[in-house]
Amino acid sequence: MRAISRLFAIALLATVLFAGSSEREEGIAAFNRGQYSVALPKLSAAARDKSDVTARTFLALTQAAMGNCKTAIPNLIATPPSSTDLYRLAGLAAVKCFSSTGDDAQAYTLLVKLGQRFPNDADVLYLTAKVHMKAFNDATFAMFQRTPASYRVHELSAEIFEVQNRYSDAVAEYRKAIEANPKAPELHFRLGRAILLESHSPEALQQASEEFRSELKLSPEDAASEFQLGQIAQVEGHTETARSHFERALTLSPDFVQALIALGKMDTQAKQYPQAIEMLSHATRLQPANETAHYALLTAYRDSGQMDKAKAEKDLLDKLQKPPEGEFSDFLKKLGEKPPAQ
Amino acid sequence: MKLSFLTTALLAASCLLLAFADPAANSYTPNFCNIAKQAGLTDVFPNGGSVSKQYIIETTGSGIGFIDYDNDGLLDLFVLSGEGGTNRMYHNEGHGRFRDVTDALGLRSSGWAEGVCTGDYDNDGYTDLFVTYWGQNHLYRNIHGQRFEDVTASTHLTQNRTRYNTGCAFLDIDGDGHLDLFVSNYLKFDPATTPKPGANPYCFYRGIAVNCGPRGLPFDRNILYRNNGDGTFTDISEQSGIAEPDGHYSLGVLTGDFNEDGLPDIYVACDQTPSLLYINKGHGKFEEEGVIRGVAFDQNGKAMSGMGVTAADYAGDGHFSIFRTNFSDEFETLYRNRGKGDFDDVTLDAGLGENTRYVGWGTGFFDFNNDGWKDLLLVNGHVFPEVEALHIDIHYKDRAILYENMRDGKFRDISRLAGPAFLELHSSRGAAFGDIDNDGAVEVAINNQNETPSLLKQAANPPGHWTILSLIGTRSNRSAIGARVKVIAGGRAQLGEVRSGGSYLSQSDLRLHFGLGTAASIDRIEIAWPSGTRQVLEKQAADRVLNITEKQ
Repeated sequence: MRAISRLFAIALLATVLFAGSSEREEGIAAFNRGQYSVALPKLSAAARDKSDVTARTFLALTQAAMGNCKTAIPNLIATPPSSTDLYRLAGLAAVKCFSSTGDDAQAYTLLVKLGQRFPNDADVLYLTAKVHMKAFNDATFAMFQRTPASYRVHELSAEIFEVQNRYSDAVAEYRKAIEANPKAPELHFRLGRAILLESHSPEALQQASEEFRSELKLSPEDAASEFQLGQIAQVEGHTETARSHFERALTLSPDFVQALIALGKMDTQAKQYPQAIEMLSHATRLQPANETAHYALLTAYRDSGQMDKAKAEKDLLDKLQKPPEGEFSDFLKKLGEKPPAQ
Repeated sequence: MKLSFLTTALLAASCLLLAFADPAANSYTPNFCNIAKQAGLTDVFPNGGSVSKQYIIETTGSGIGFIDYDNDGLLDLFVLSGEGGTNRMYHNEGHGRFRDVTDALGLRSSGWAEGVCTGDYDNDGYTDLFVTYWGQNHLYRNIHGQRFEDVTASTHLTQNRTRYNTGCAFLDIDGDGHLDLFVSNYLKFDPATTPKPGANPYCFYRGIAVNCGPRGLPFDRNILYRNNGDGTFTDISEQSGIAEPDGHYSLGVLTGDFNEDGLPDIYVACDQTPSLLYINKGHGKFEEEGVIRGVAFDQNGKAMSGMGVTAADYAGDGHFSIFRTNFSDEFETLYRNRGKGDFDDVTLDAGLGENTRYVGWGTGFFDFNNDGWKDLLLVNGHVFPEVEALHIDIHYKDRAILYENMRDGKFRDISRLAGPAFLELHSSRGAAFGDIDNDGAVEVAINNQNETPSLLKQAANPPGHWTILSLIGTRSNRSAIGARVKVIAGGRAQLGEVRSGGSYLSQSDLRLHFGLGTAASIDRIEIAWPSGTRQVLEKQAADRVLNITEKQ
């Protein structure tokens, strides 16, 4: 709390050292040096002037830095939004205070306001992530403590293992979750995905297939599982089986972009160009930034002799090409969310 | 298709003398053995860390090359080394034995050697050597097969800064009879400024800290040198269009006339970035057309981590298709040439979708069973030794893979049946293909990181007939690089092309090997020389090396 408050405040140092009481200036300087015991009496004296918003805010920041959130909060949240920098500083400190005192509702409310006011502010985004992470940890801890026998404990453990690249542990936890609640939806789907991530062997394809089929028994209209079965069939060289799974996935979810692309590519290969182009164009309309869709459409145009259109798709693709997403995006992907079309 | 434990153990313990039949496929199954030790290839070639690697330079490894430097008709072997060792030339003494002649030939070296390619750049009848480096490349002129002279400076090939040169190939871009030179560049690497393992998100693999790159490290550009015909070269990268593509980490180089217009094109396998296809437009100009021609990405439009590359008419359709090795968790990529240089990704349809745990490097199409259909081999090994700490099914050292061509556009992984050489685990990089004893069975030389090389040889000769064509250019460059050959035998036509470079930073035999199956003779050989000369030979005997000189 202290270090962060100081960091926030240092950024303001240049702007607040304008003409004013020497007590206030000395107090702010002491705050920025981390000498809160020196800052506190000086800022308390300066804040006796009720009109001195800066002194009041820095007094509250000092109190917060010293762990006295209860006293600090009223002044922190009273900082007027018109004082942009002070409002931001006080808001951040107030969120931390609310969070530390367990008043999560107040913390979220204030974070939303800060997020709207400062949407591109790294400190605001950082604190938002941190508060939500704390909420995640608190809820996880509570679940493990209060409902240790629930399948959800195993499901969550498995998801965490997946993020940590511990796929064999994830597989084991998903199996325990299924054992605890054989009828829970999505578990077989996630297990199938974890199996595919755990192993590269042909046997893994079969094991994963079984899980996706099990998911379909529980959720007969699960397009994502149909799509996964199609992909496995394709890798195994069973083109017609793959096609039927993709078609079924598309029937279940008409805007399922990955299924549209898969079928579009198959139609291109079969020289069914109008059909392929229709499906792939639909995919690019649904997801204009989808590189795979544009590349498949490029190929369909090229193979059908429509070189101008193929080149236009290439130009679009060139614009979309960018360095691979970073670790953080990979991290999120590993959460194993189903495709957005679901 | 699973082998019993006993069978596997037997194969691993000894190289059986006989090949055997696979009842399931009712076909010949080879028995490849690693004969490197018996052949005298016992030197270890250092190449960075074996337990961990601090820098990317330790990961890319080195190539290997077959070259008959003394024109005795037997392929000699040139093995490249990373820092701490020397490149070595081994003379083929016959009877499967090699002798180290590095010092006698003046080839002792130091530094990080990357790639090798050969060609007779001065048309004096002796094949010359070009070696790429992180650092300074070297052109070694072959002096009458007696020694090599470093002519880098006098040929104007000295580079004015440290470059991470990787693949290379001699090719005659304009058919003037003089071999030009293409050199791919990976990236700009300086150990003084390159972050250490774990320093940023590009320095992690599956959560463990590993050496950084290529992402996050600056790009460099590829180079084309024109042979001036007077013993010097000129860098024409800019005016030729070769330098134009920006943002590619270039590794393996493959040349070939992919759009079938009579001019050699250049394909470059690129790491984590779109691979490149430079189409030769004539008059020394190239245009990069990889994306529109379908060879830049995988079938999902995603750039792969391309490493090695090879080409062949594997389907018997009269077109050269391209195969590229990639990283783990990626498919290998087979691009089938539809004709005129437009390609389709047919990886999955060809049965190549199962092996996704390997990082592939050197590769080549070759006909191991002489049935007239080109099979496919690739060697593997991860870039991160640290991967072992993850205890997953991806390993730093891994086996090579042999795919049999099933003659219907599909391949079958027969590695586990193909002999003990395919059970050995190495972190392999370069791979070169050539018949070291002219018996019609192609051997494979492999450069393994921090180990002795491997030399894969079949314990018994395959059943089919064969021919090896050794072409000598007269109006064309003397190495006949770029010559396109059609061999018609037993009612089938096969296609071949003489290539410098290829695979992963390696050089295979410049001679062309064809399996002929049951055909005991060749009906017709058609040669399209780089000079434009067309030559036809009819009614040739099989099972021999056939020397063909370009008609004047």
